[in-house]
Amino acid sequence: MAITLAQGIALAVMAIIVGVDFWLEALFIFRPIIVCTLTGIILGNVPLGLMAGGLTELAFAGLTPAGGTQPPNPVLAGVMTTVIAYTTGKDPATAIGLALPFSFLMQYIILFYYSSFSLFMKKADKYAEEADGKSLARLNMLTTGIVAITYGVVVFLCAYVAQDAMQSLVKAMPEWLTHGFEIAGGILPAVGFGMLLKVMLKGEFVPYLILGFVIASFVPFSNLLPVAVVGMALALIVFNNERNNKKMAVASSAAFEGEGDDENEGI
Amino acid sequence: MTKMKESEKNTAPEKVLTRKDITKLGWRSSLLQASFNYERMQSGGFLLAQMDCLKKIYKDDKEGLSEAMTDNLEFINTHPNLVGFLMGLLVSLEEAKENRSTIKGLKVALFAPLAGIGDAIFWFTILPIVAGISASMAMSGSIVGPLLFFAVYLSIFILRVAWTHAGYNLGLKAVDTLREYSGIISKVATILGVTVIGGLIASYVHISLLPEIVINASKTVSIQKDFLDKIFPNILPFTYTLLMYFFLKKKKMSPVVLIAATFGLAILLSFLGIL
Repeated sequence: MAITLAQGIALAVMAIIVGVDFWLEALFIFRPIIVCTLTGIILGNVPLGLMAGGLTELAFAGLTPAGGTQPPNPVLAGVMTTVIAYTTGKDPATAIGLALPFSFLMQYIILFYYSSFSLFMKKADKYAEEADGKSLARLNMLTTGIVAITYGVVVFLCAYVAQDAMQSLVKAMPEWLTHGFEIAGGILPAVGFGMLLKVMLKGEFVPYLILGFVIASFVPFSNLLPVAVVGMALALIVFNNERNNKKMAVASSAAFEGEGDDENEGI
Repeated sequence: MTKMKESEKNTAPEKVLTRKDITKLGWRSSLLQASFNYERMQSGGFLLAQMDCLKKIYKDDKEGLSEAMTDNLEFINTHPNLVGFLMGLLVSLEEAKENRSTIKGLKVALFAPLAGIGDAIFWFTILPIVAGISASMAMSGSIVGPLLFFAVYLSIFILRVAWTHAGYNLGLKAVDTLREYSGIISKVATILGVTVIGGLIASYVHISLLPEIVINASKTVSIQKDFLDKIFPNILPFTYTLLMYFFLKKKKMSPVVLIAATFGLAILLSFLGIL
């Protein structure tokens, strides 16, 4: 199905709002589960939006901007997965893979802004020296505004202008290629989880990783709440132990210091 | 000049900020990343969020305001969800006219531990759990999935105001507690997060082998269903995730390269009929 001009504009407006939310990391409406649902509403196909949202959210679960690294862009991934599934009639699982280049594109645009916005800092220093709060506010508005407009323009071009080209490209793809994209979408979360583990996994935490994996593999349940509850219990056990250790350490060192004081007084 | 400030400090400065100002500061802490860049990271937004409070504290003292602004424009990189705590603490010190090096020193000492705790709690623990649950609801066609996700994050957003009040009210008392417990808190949050990631790998990474071994005309053995699943279910997803971890951590490869490689591999194996 084709995307109308009105839908293209509506998608661009939505992208501006969720894009600024991603820039500020405020309400988390930039996550694919929300972006896909909103895209589905705009396109008049809510079930498709929900399906795409669930799949894309999980594929992007580990791809977070933690520690100041910029992940493949979740806004473009969400919009384009839904849009491609809608215009080409492909399975959303296949569409995730096809949407990925758009996600990379936006990631690199944001990285470019991260570098070039450094140039504004000289101005900010000058405003600080002059105690000029109004100009400082204007500067922050300008940078955020540039990002906002970019989201609107990029999404309009990718979703509306490029849709025919996208459609003929997808139609020309052989079965093994689309099937390849589909299974790649299913493996993709592994990269994200690998990234999470890179930050979190130290030797002492390996047992918890194994426990979580084994529980989810052998306990038939529709979501991860049981795993989270067990994780919470393990965390509480460690918390209590560590706190007791700390108290004992403080108590013994206090006793030690006390002895030292006595000696000092003796001298 | 500095000497004069020291003497001013002795006449206990009056409180000029109201509860309302601090609530407003909490909302405005969301501007943290408004001018994010590689040189100073979040400093532009960090200063902008505090501007109203600083103006109220320094009133006509243009020089004092300028010094405070310059200090707050220095490099900072912390967590958007928790930064209100730091801002509340810092404006309480500004209001008390603590000397500038104390304020600056505290900011530098606290922003990194706050970032660590925030990442462990918000990105690595709450997001995987909430996303996992709401995504499975969405995939079964329920609008409750995204609504639940939104509700959770709206609550977390509103809590920013509470952190800001906590930082302002606790003042210096908070610093010791935070220093003492930041290690334990991030360790405990990491344990919860790592356990959930173990579960996520089993539930959300899908690798299933297609080939079947033909024994005779009536009997075939599926490598996946009759062999791997009987030994250990999800062993392929687990192995592949650890492989990604290995490449990211030990070989310092970029995630973009690994994503591209994953797609290349998937397409190749699809072509060969293995996946």
